[in-house]
Amino acid sequence: MRAFNQKILEIDCDTESKKICEFMKRTVLKDFRKKGVVVGLSGGIDSALTAALSVKAFGKERVLGVILPEKESSPESEILARQLANWLGIKTETVPITPILQSLGVYQRREAIVRKYFPEFAEGWKYKLAISKDTLEKEGLTFFHLVAIDRDGASHKERLPLNDYLEMVAATEMKQRTRMIQLYFYAEKSNCIVAGTTNKSELLQGFFVKYGDGGVDMEPIAHLYKMQVFQLSEFLGVPQEIVKRTPSPDTWSAGVSDEEFYFRIPYDLLDLLLYAHEEQVPLDGVSGVLNIPPDKILRFYKDFDGKNKASWHLRTMPPNLIDQVRM
Amino acid sequence: MSIENEIRKFIEENFILEGNDHLGHEDSLLENGIIDSTGVLELVAFLEESYRFKIKDEELVPENLDSIKNISNFVKGKIRDLTAEPQHCSTATVN
Repeated sequence: MRAFNQKILEIDCDTESKKICEFMKRTVLKDFRKKGVVVGLSGGIDSALTAALSVKAFGKERVLGVILPEKESSPESEILARQLANWLGIKTETVPITPILQSLGVYQRREAIVRKYFPEFAEGWKYKLAISKDTLEKEGLTFFHLVAIDRDGASHKERLPLNDYLEMVAATEMKQRTRMIQLYFYAEKSNCIVAGTTNKSELLQGFFVKYGDGGVDMEPIAHLYKMQVFQLSEFLGVPQEIVKRTPSPDTWSAGVSDEEFYFRIPYDLLDLLLYAHEEQVPLDGVSGVLNIPPDKILRFYKDFDGKNKASWHLRTMPPNLIDQVRM
Repeated sequence: MSIENEIRKFIEENFILEGNDHLGHEDSLLENGIIDSTGVLELVAFLEESYRFKIKDEELVPENLDSIKNISNFVKGKIRDLTAEPQHCSTATVN
């Protein structure tokens, strides 16, 4: 095994892309016996890479991009999704999901919680959730702040108590689950499967929604750390505007990065620490390479273990008493 | 009922302890997998409602909340710091 170093996550992109394409072809054509794939295009790098690999594997005629904007999405998302589709030469379907989310009460429920803490909340205000603290700097417990930004751009912050936090998250996750419904409609009507876009950094820490963006038929990039997603995307020529875009869940009217919302640290550091923890690299070795004191690294590992443990159910079949499925 | 026992009762009633192992006074709730981040919020809600004080963001640290002993000491300290006579549901005594 190679010694841990800053470049340990560098991959042979040519070999890796071929490996993924072979996997996709085998999975879709042989295992599923389907004609192609449907990919939800968010304007982000993960869906861009998945779509690019899909075209490489199946050809552009067998790949459909589905764009699913809603009123709180960044306008940039749809623009970049179309740019990607044009670059790949794939067909798209655009299905605004705002009306569905409104009928589900997503916006009403979330805004009611915002008004509870910021009664002056009104048209023109934006809001988001942000995770507490810098895990590496301080020993702390995880909680979330509701951050509301008024029309003047001033930021207001309140810690959400349990019930309101749970309801805010539950309402938000209806967005991802609504998108899943649309993706499956287009996949099933064209005898295709839904390709997932979750990467390994997200998978390990439960940064996806059960039966939302986690509800897919195949996960072709789930073995790649985020930094490897960037490498492969550059190799395949994904448009730079997408490569350089700050990763974001894009589920809040106020912009929030993946780092601010969930991971606490930037991806280049996160991935190296995830790798080191997974491979049980000796602590002093990690500390020496990353120039971070061991106690800080252990704080990260504790946070990682907590998220990994809490999200176990996202990576397994629902618990059951099935002993064996007999035909 | 003492504050320690009230807290122990809450934790035992709300967070299942595997194998009926006795939860030690100083055992880490997080490291032993008894509560997770959602459980911390549940604990905070219980403490704030039961003892009628607000827990500040900077007080959400393991030395205040990660064991029955830590929680108990934290609650006793908060009660002492309150300027007015607290009106709270419990009949706990500060020992």
